[in-house]
Amino acid sequence: MEIATARFNIYTPRDLNDALKYLDKHGDKAIPLAGGTDVLVLARTDIIRPELFLDLWPLRKELSYVRREDGYVWIGALTTIDELYNSFLSKDKRYLGFYDMYWRFATPYLRTIATVGGNIGTGHPLSDLAILLLTLDAEVKLSSISGDRWVKLENLYLGKRKLDRRSNELITEVRFKETTENSSTALLKLDRRRGHAMGYIVTAAYMALDGDTISNIRIAFDSTGKPYPGRSYRTEEFLRGKRFSEEVIRESYRVLESEMRRISDYRAPAEYRIDLSKVLMKRCLYLIKSRIMG
Amino acid sequence: MSQKEYPDIPIKLTVNGKEHVVVVKPYERLIDVLRYKLGYTSVKEGCGRGECGACLVIMDGKLVPSCLVLAIRANGSNITTLEGIAPEGKLHAIQKALIDAHAVQCGYCFPGFIIAIKYLLDKNPEPSEEDIKNMLEGNICRCGSYPMFLEAVKLAIKYVREGKIYFDIKEVKG
Amino acid sequence: MSKPDYVHIVEEVFERFKDKPLVYVGKKSVRWDAIAKVTGKALFTADYLKFYRNVVWVYSVRTKYAHAWIKKIDAGAAAKVPGVLRVITGYDIPGVNDVGYVIPDQPLLATKKVRYIGDTVALIVAEDPYIAREAADKVYVEYEPLPVYTDPLEIVDLMTLKEKPHTRIHEERDSDIVAHFKIRTGDVEKALKEADVVVENKYRTPMQEHAYMEPEAALAIPEHDGGITVIASTQCPFDARRAIARVLGLPQNMVRVIAPFMGGGFGGKEDVANEIGSKAALAAYFTGRPAIAIHTREESIIGHSKRHPMVAWYRHAAKRDGTLLAVEANVILDTGGYASLGPFVAWRATVHSTGPYRVRNARIDTIAVYTNTVYSGAFRGFGNPQIHFAVERQMDILAEELGMDPVELRLKNILRPGDRTVHGQLLTEEHGVGLEGVIKKAVELSNWYEKRRKYASQSGTIRKGIGIALGWHGNSIGVEGADYSSATIIINRDGSITYRTGLTDMGQGSLWGLVLIAAEILGVPPSYFRIELPDTASTPDSGPTVASRSTVMGGNATLVAAYKLRKRLNEVASKLLGCSPDDIVIEAPRVYCRSDPEKEVTWNDIVEQAFWLGVPLQEFGYYRAPKAEWDEETGQGAPYITYTFGAIISEVSVDLETGQVKVDRAVTAYDIGRVINPVGAEFHAIGGYIQGMGYALMEEIVHDKNGYVLTNNLSTYYVPIIKDSPEIIPVFVEALYKQGPLGAKGLGEPSIVAIAPSIVNAVSHATRIQFTEIPLTPHRVYLELKKRGIIRI
Repeated sequence: MEIATARFNIYTPRDLNDALKYLDKHGDKAIPLAGGTDVLVLARTDIIRPELFLDLWPLRKELSYVRREDGYVWIGALTTIDELYNSFLSKDKRYLGFYDMYWRFATPYLRTIATVGGNIGTGHPLSDLAILLLTLDAEVKLSSISGDRWVKLENLYLGKRKLDRRSNELITEVRFKETTENSSTALLKLDRRRGHAMGYIVTAAYMALDGDTISNIRIAFDSTGKPYPGRSYRTEEFLRGKRFSEEVIRESYRVLESEMRRISDYRAPAEYRIDLSKVLMKRCLYLIKSRIMG
Repeated sequence: MSQKEYPDIPIKLTVNGKEHVVVVKPYERLIDVLRYKLGYTSVKEGCGRGECGACLVIMDGKLVPSCLVLAIRANGSNITTLEGIAPEGKLHAIQKALIDAHAVQCGYCFPGFIIAIKYLLDKNPEPSEEDIKNMLEGNICRCGSYPMFLEAVKLAIKYVREGKIYFDIKEVKG
Repeated sequence: MSKPDYVHIVEEVFERFKDKPLVYVGKKSVRWDAIAKVTGKALFTADYLKFYRNVVWVYSVRTKYAHAWIKKIDAGAAAKVPGVLRVITGYDIPGVNDVGYVIPDQPLLATKKVRYIGDTVALIVAEDPYIAREAADKVYVEYEPLPVYTDPLEIVDLMTLKEKPHTRIHEERDSDIVAHFKIRTGDVEKALKEADVVVENKYRTPMQEHAYMEPEAALAIPEHDGGITVIASTQCPFDARRAIARVLGLPQNMVRVIAPFMGGGFGGKEDVANEIGSKAALAAYFTGRPAIAIHTREESIIGHSKRHPMVAWYRHAAKRDGTLLAVEANVILDTGGYASLGPFVAWRATVHSTGPYRVRNARIDTIAVYTNTVYSGAFRGFGNPQIHFAVERQMDILAEELGMDPVELRLKNILRPGDRTVHGQLLTEEHGVGLEGVIKKAVELSNWYEKRRKYASQSGTIRKGIGIALGWHGNSIGVEGADYSSATIIINRDGSITYRTGLTDMGQGSLWGLVLIAAEILGVPPSYFRIELPDTASTPDSGPTVASRSTVMGGNATLVAAYKLRKRLNEVASKLLGCSPDDIVIEAPRVYCRSDPEKEVTWNDIVEQAFWLGVPLQEFGYYRAPKAEWDEETGQGAPYITYTFGAIISEVSVDLETGQVKVDRAVTAYDIGRVINPVGAEFHAIGGYIQGMGYALMEEIVHDKNGYVLTNNLSTYYVPIIKDSPEIIPVFVEALYKQGPLGAKGLGEPSIVAIAPSIVNAVSHATRIQFTEIPLTPHRVYLELKKRGIIRI
């Protein structure tokens, strides 16, 4: 196995428009570079051999923001995970999932340079932010010189590290509809050590309670059978409308098991991943309930 | 192999208050510029992948892993390395505390830890033990000085609270 | 035959200081390099690069296969790449193409065969590391792949220890079993028949990676006369010099090796410097320019020795009252592609294989075998952590069978002064046998009995447990080789002191302990000393920095030098002050007569006077350990000069729903004889615990079936982080070792030996499951709990 960084060139655009023009011409060769925390590591281990990068850092002037408008939350793709945390999101009871995600995301010093667009753009199953955004039914804006299009995050993934992104497109924005007051979110992961870990699995959830009844629920995992993050729709359907209780959640385990396929690898066997998915899902839901109750 | 052209790009950066102009290639990393071109060898490489915390510097007020920052991104930036957290001949409270807590073993992880601790205390002068552990979660110390680091940070907080930010090295040398 | 003078000196000093209150030794003090390290001024090998211009970069082209014949190496295209100065293969080596530490089985650059994924087939020497890396792709090697073996049980059978049919990995030897050590004592068959209880189990321990924060590096500078200077991260500068000189075909005095501060070693930098140092040296030799080789973390993981994985079968026989009757074991250590220090590791494992207990009947067989995994060698503990895992688990399982408390069972069988070890070695007060003392201390500080009672009945999904493990660890190298050390103390004319040693600092700070010893004997504050780090051109050969020997061996050598200097200084002072030499008190800067304190001069006075009188104020101290004895057939003799003893009690919480284990608290009690440097001792106790905890709960190097390392970076190879660190309470019991400096023993390795079993014993207590394999990762714990119906989520 041969390892080391290869040499490459970089194009530094003036602004978003310039970047999109460049990508239109060179998108087949140029790899967009945001924080670099994923793609520079891939380059180092020869998983990719980049010859050319498109430097996205100058786009921070335009694309780093967290706003609320028209009933939506809008997040610029070049917002860092740190900036995301420092916004109103992690103080809003409904969006405490962002608080959970922040404190579990990689390491403190990667959160200052890792970006929202970058995390989604990796297409990797263990993308904590993407998993959380799935529970918020988020949409992703892809921009090119011909214009913008919105894609639901759950439809963005096509395969292992493969997104529905044309080579002349950039992820520029993420949005999700603001949720109701009686709801909250949570994200949990577990690994061999108590931090600085990818997680055997990662799970996130959004739940709205009407008294004791689960009026709405969305649950996402790093994988439900595909090599990218996904939702457990049948489990959600089973739980939707039912009374929140330990019994009901445990009953949902068999539904989860029916719609989840896990791999066995040197890190853990499938059986463990499935059982851990159940346990962390339960813990997420209890965490959300306690947040809703105040 | 085709002869590829990699341009020479001049960048200007301020390190510990001193201005430098260096010529870099597009693929060069900030860590190599700091260590070999500018001589700030306190910045250490432990993994090259942003997983160990040994290469941490403060860049424009942000804690960053210099092994994953491309040199061209540091153009126009203000960088603090361990060499710059105290004036010559003096020790910062954090450094004094580490000595007092007997935390020094091989010392390779120290620059990364000290920069992270400085970053923490600059933002929050009275962190809880949980805050400290959260901040240092990504700094690996294989010699196992973790309990001593905790004790040292608590001592440093105390020194700073008492107004003792810098100590004379001569005082410390037994 | 009379004893050598250095033995007399050590004994005399021991007697004189036995009950005397000490001034520097045993006190907490700031180590000499603390300021350099907190300011970032301390230089590690790769840092020296900033001082050199015109440097060439060395990149290792490694094999694509973990086991294959090499049919052809064609480096022509690589050599033509612009910026490449030279491509070096095994055929270019001027001297001997071998860097094996114990046996010559390891080519530096493979030409005929590759045996593990890190084997190097060519070196690219280029103007910068990027060009070197790209040119590596242009080295064309034709391989004939062979079957890849990643499990030692594919090579030998556990119960017969006989080799299985397989494609030989080391075809130049007559077997892939590289070492075999035994103990045969008493009558095991008879003991088994008389036993009331017999417990037998299989155990597995993983390959552990040192993961020191500083990856290996070597910087080679060609000298004006054809010699080479190599700055390298090495624990054994003199061994590295020997290896590099051999590769270059130069006499040893033409090679200079400098060992600067190391960012951790833990045994991992014992033999790798032979390799990386030789690579840099070759590049410098051929280009006439300074040459640097720096390992990336991935290269470090696949390119240096590891901790031997172990597969073992153990059988313990005991009487109803807990008396151990016999121990039998088959132990297989997987040494990977090359032997490295494997034979020595297998020997040490064998010596300690029955634990620190009185065992009169034993049949032990330990073998080290080759496989196609990353080769294993020295790692803190050196075979001892592996077998202690098995032995201390056995003791707990035996206690369970007998219905005895684990502490009680151990107290019934431990070695006490006057007992003989399983090798027949008589241990006396002179060895310092503090095992009972450390057990009692640990039990007291951890509230053992109360917690055992309390945790016996729990409900809920978090279960707590408390477990104990004992350890013993022979000091220094036993029969591995000639065991000597040396030190030089030079008192300069202005009274400042230069201390020279060939022992290296990898963070453990033991050199400071050596200075404290010299300070105590000379009567001067440690601040008068300046330590010069190892440099084969000027510091003496103190033997390798291994085997927990620095304090004992380096300490005795230092003590001898200090003693001789002190004697001469006393003479000089007595003439100045007019009282007898025995009456001289040195409390620098004061020097006075004990019987008449009015008669006083200064330290500078006596130093200056010595110069005028021509009394030499430099001294070379030498100490050689008593010869170890070991019978190859029976394992009887006196394998080590003395043993360090330890008792570790760990408290854990187990989350039944996820299998995650957290260590809440630990008490580590050690008998290291006289504690010379309490700060250093605490480093070891605490740091060793954390590293041992990693071994128990999360660390494992994993190979796939093709011999590729899957865990080749620090996010897939998990070492403990600050959040995993429990409360650790180190405590020391001093059972003085008469032949040690002021009674001291070593702690470098003992501090990791019994950690893993103490944690697993605690987890077994919490879960009622007898685990026999580490690391105890969450999924392993959970799936066992689930299988036995202890948890249903």
